Amino acid sequence: MAKLSLRGVSKAYGATLALRRGDLEIEAGEVHVLLGANGSGKSTLCKIVAGSVRPDAGEVLIDGKRVTVSGPQAARALGIGIFYQELSLAAHRTVAENICLADLPVRRGGFVDRWALAERAGRYIAMFADVAGEGFGPDALVGNLRADQRQLVEIMKALASEAPVIIFDEPTSALDRAQVERFFEILRTLKSQRRGIIFISHRMDEITAIGDRATVMRDGETVATLDLKETTPAEMIRLMVSERSDLAAETVAPAVVAASGAAPALSVGNISGPGFRNVSFDVAPGEILGLGGLHGQGQSAVLRALFGAAKIRSGHVRIGGREIAAASPRSAIRGGFAYVSGDRGRDGVIQGRPILENATPIHYLKQRLLLARPNALRDKVMPALDSLRTKFATLAHPIGSLSGGNQQKIVIARWLIERPDVLLLDDPTKGIDLAAKTDLFTLIRQLAAEGMGIVLYSSEDAELLGNANRILVFNGGAVSRELTGADRTRYNLYQAAYEAA
Amino acid sequence: MMGSVSLSSLYRQPLVVALALILLLLVIGNWLSPGFASGTQILRLLIVAALLGIVAAGQNIVILGGREGIDLSVGGIVSLSAIVAGNVMHGTDAAIFPAIAACLAVGAFFGLLNGLGVTLLRIPPLVMTLGMLGVLQGLLIVIRQGIPSGQAAPALSRFVTQPVLLGLPGIIWLWAAIGIAMAFLLRRTVFGHRIYAIGSNEHAAWMAGVPVRRMRISLFILSGMFAALAGVCLLGYSGSSFANVGEQYMLPSIIAVVFGGTSLAGGKGGYTGTMAGAVLLVILQGILTTVNIDESGRQMVFGATLLLLMLFYGRGRAMRA
Amino acid sequence: MTDTTPSMAAPKPQADRRWIERYPFLPALGILLVLLALNGVFSPNSLSYRSLTGLISTYLALMMLAVAQTYVVYAGDIDLSAGAIVSLVNVVIVVTMERLGGGGGAVLAALGIGVLTGLACGLINGIVVAALRLQAIVATFATSIFFTGFALWVMPVAGTPAPALFWRTYGGKFLGLPFVFYVVIALAILLYVIARTRLALQLLAVGDDAQAAYQSGLPVVPIRIRGYILCGVFSALAAFCVTGDTASGDPLVGGKMTLFSVAAVVLGGTALSGGWGTVAGSLFGALTIGLINSLVFFIGTPSEWQNFVQGLAILIVLMAGILVGRRARA
Repeated sequence: MAKLSLRGVSKAYGATLALRRGDLEIEAGEVHVLLGANGSGKSTLCKIVAGSVRPDAGEVLIDGKRVTVSGPQAARALGIGIFYQELSLAAHRTVAENICLADLPVRRGGFVDRWALAERAGRYIAMFADVAGEGFGPDALVGNLRADQRQLVEIMKALASEAPVIIFDEPTSALDRAQVERFFEILRTLKSQRRGIIFISHRMDEITAIGDRATVMRDGETVATLDLKETTPAEMIRLMVSERSDLAAETVAPAVVAASGAAPALSVGNISGPGFRNVSFDVAPGEILGLGGLHGQGQSAVLRALFGAAKIRSGHVRIGGREIAAASPRSAIRGGFAYVSGDRGRDGVIQGRPILENATPIHYLKQRLLLARPNALRDKVMPALDSLRTKFATLAHPIGSLSGGNQQKIVIARWLIERPDVLLLDDPTKGIDLAAKTDLFTLIRQLAAEGMGIVLYSSEDAELLGNANRILVFNGGAVSRELTGADRTRYNLYQAAYEAA
Repeated sequence: MMGSVSLSSLYRQPLVVALALILLLLVIGNWLSPGFASGTQILRLLIVAALLGIVAAGQNIVILGGREGIDLSVGGIVSLSAIVAGNVMHGTDAAIFPAIAACLAVGAFFGLLNGLGVTLLRIPPLVMTLGMLGVLQGLLIVIRQGIPSGQAAPALSRFVTQPVLLGLPGIIWLWAAIGIAMAFLLRRTVFGHRIYAIGSNEHAAWMAGVPVRRMRISLFILSGMFAALAGVCLLGYSGSSFANVGEQYMLPSIIAVVFGGTSLAGGKGGYTGTMAGAVLLVILQGILTTVNIDESGRQMVFGATLLLLMLFYGRGRAMRA
Repeated sequence: MTDTTPSMAAPKPQADRRWIERYPFLPALGILLVLLALNGVFSPNSLSYRSLTGLISTYLALMMLAVAQTYVVYAGDIDLSAGAIVSLVNVVIVVTMERLGGGGGAVLAALGIGVLTGLACGLINGIVVAALRLQAIVATFATSIFFTGFALWVMPVAGTPAPALFWRTYGGKFLGLPFVFYVVIALAILLYVIARTRLALQLLAVGDDAQAAYQSGLPVVPIRIRGYILCGVFSALAAFCVTGDTASGDPLVGGKMTLFSVAAVVLGGTALSGGWGTVAGSLFGALTIGLINSLVFFIGTPSEWQNFVQGLAILIVLMAGILVGRRARA
């Protein structure tokens, strides 16, 4: 009998159907992977199981018995634990308090039993003791931790539920290799304890490494459940995207752009700042320069600093020969920079506002506009959106009505109305679906072909290898190696990334 | 026509609710005290609503600008402006415009201080404007020791209380013009779009080149100026200024904004609803003053009715989606 | 060129930053001590045992109300009706004491009814804000109008005196020490005990990120309601102090105190956005307001300028407190 099963679960937010028909069967003692592009309904499905989203229809069964999950508290009582993709931590509380927050040990009279709390939290902290990194401990405030450390706390919190069914919704997106390895060891232990695990990740290697079975979702519907031992990655991807099966094919690495006599589009000379030091590089017009390496080695820090969102302490930056010292994004934009962040919820999307207003702010700034005339703006915005094959109803619809990939397209489109000289891409495809990724890289290559200088950081090596003309590998805040021509191989990239780490 | 779909879902709905409630209250008011919904009565209420509505215009954009934007100092600015206007014009028509200019300058000055505190020093708006309210109240006491309360110019009083065009007093026309200007500002100007942008996602707006600090300072300056304008009109309404006359606008201006469907979290709402919210609030007060109950009962009914009306608006999202 | 460590190293909390993290009220305490010293400079007599006792007995009510406000601010809420609750409890206990004859039993019964009144008001606020999900600022403003109306119904005009037993005890001495001294000790113990409860931690977790707390399985709505109840009860205690201090009933006595309680909370280093703060800081914040008022008097400010100087000083101290706290944390 299945440990947990969902039958015909659906959920709509207003007119948007987030989950059309979700079916899922989890056996005890398996790691069950949920596969699907963003917006395919995975997270909604998980949140319904965890009680934080109320389903419109369908039923949930635990050990064959029909149950009603009336809220997160009820879900815990029913034996369901969850790791939330967006994390559910209290920044001003300690690691130990966060781990035990849902079920604080109390003595008579409602007093927190500090000793029991430390003891219980200590068990989970010990599991990651040697991979958690500096500054991590039971009394550290969560707000002071790095992104990967916060993610570890959320993992520990999910583990502390000691639930028979635990859901992990993208638990590894910020973790480094050693942390992922340790996490997988723990998952194997949980399997041996006959617990049911739901696991979501966008990294194919992780899916094949830890998963037993996979359920594929597409457009809010469960498409198939597969045994991972008998399935190839290509087949999984084909099921996820269906209509465009050619996406799985490896793109061919572009050639090196010949160093022409023309001035570089961007010239960075020996800059240092918070999180990076002594970074130098040139980007020729038409070149896509890749930044690689393990996450958090200074790639994002450099891009954000170039864009004026963080300080550059020393060194120089030139665009087309002009010296530029951007004190804010505003002056960086005026100087010719554009920046697209992978964290679109924080850096890009103006939630609740129409698509039109999300696509126009750069146009406003560069044209020094005072009036916003909808018809004139529409003529400017439509070509940009079309070039990205953006799907939307009308420009007046709020941006939140779109899928993650299409939201990111709107954010990118705002940079296409007035062309920048240099485009900085900071992991732009994080958490967006494959179809949108393809549209995006098609556009990026086209922009390069038209002479724009592009700097691309991606946490996915395949994207760098498939698109960048040259790759700088970052390590500890500095460039440790440059890969050009035939050197651009996955092997070299890994080797350079791990060299000094 | 673009915009119709989302506009209706964003703005029109609270507006429809507010208008329906206004009608309902008028019917109830007329039933409780026949003649309540007569033309002259409604006109009198509209004048009072215009005063509140002008204060609420500034409050509205500060709230729309987000980051817990709120302006508690408006009450103090209204009082101060009424005193300044009364003393500059001294009952002479010729001095009306210098008086208005002086008041707007005073309002802008205190708005600027609020804005600087909120942006440069990053003091939460509630704290900054609360502190400023304390300063303004102290200042009012100082001023009232030294100078008389001042007199409204006759033309100003006529403008506020007597019909000037189509049987409507000037202040109603002024308020209508402000309403149109605000709708235009919020929907059809870059400044307006930027207000929503910083209110909805300040960081993203900054990354897209919006001058966030300058924007926010402007919003507080505008709020101070609207409050000052209301102070001048209030002087015209009452003839002479008296102590702390503006305090009655502090929290009601926020309630009018909320009744208009603007979220206190920022980035969502508009002024058209706020105008209806101001009318709604004033009619409610009007009904309570006409019925024959003592002060305690009046306050209890007012408080309870406000809560009841709030159930129609501004309810936060449920934790469980 | 610098050789600072790159981003790989976790941000290393410096010593002073650690201190502020553990004791967010330190800047408030510092400001309080400076003000105390200034008071001593301008009027050495103001630091006498007698003056300090007087200061505490005058501002004990505000201290209680600041504590009350702190518990709702913990959870990211606010209570603009706290002052109205003070007024209501004030008139309720004075009328009750008068009706029951003003003896010891009458006083105790009245205090019991007062606490229950505060609790009921807090419950109403909690239901309105947390369960009905109205915005706290406007909803508690509406309830404050309601509570004030109720207070006016209980006692239409100010002036009914409290029985002598009550205010003589409050202003008197017990075993050679002022009664308020025992109240402060009891308050300190009570606050220490409450700080150790699960509720305090849960309120802070809710204030940190309500959605995250809910998704973690915390009963967010009941927790916020409990915060408002705690606020209502402490508002009632504040009303007891007001009654002891003024020795009479006044249906509008607490109205002005609400905004001061908010200011005291902020002065104490508690974040209005929730999730961060201490009640000790709020006590210091309330005393700071008291010391500012007395300092303005001692430096010989002309009477018509006193409110202005007080307002300006409070604004400056508010800003200074926030800036110092932030600098130490950043």
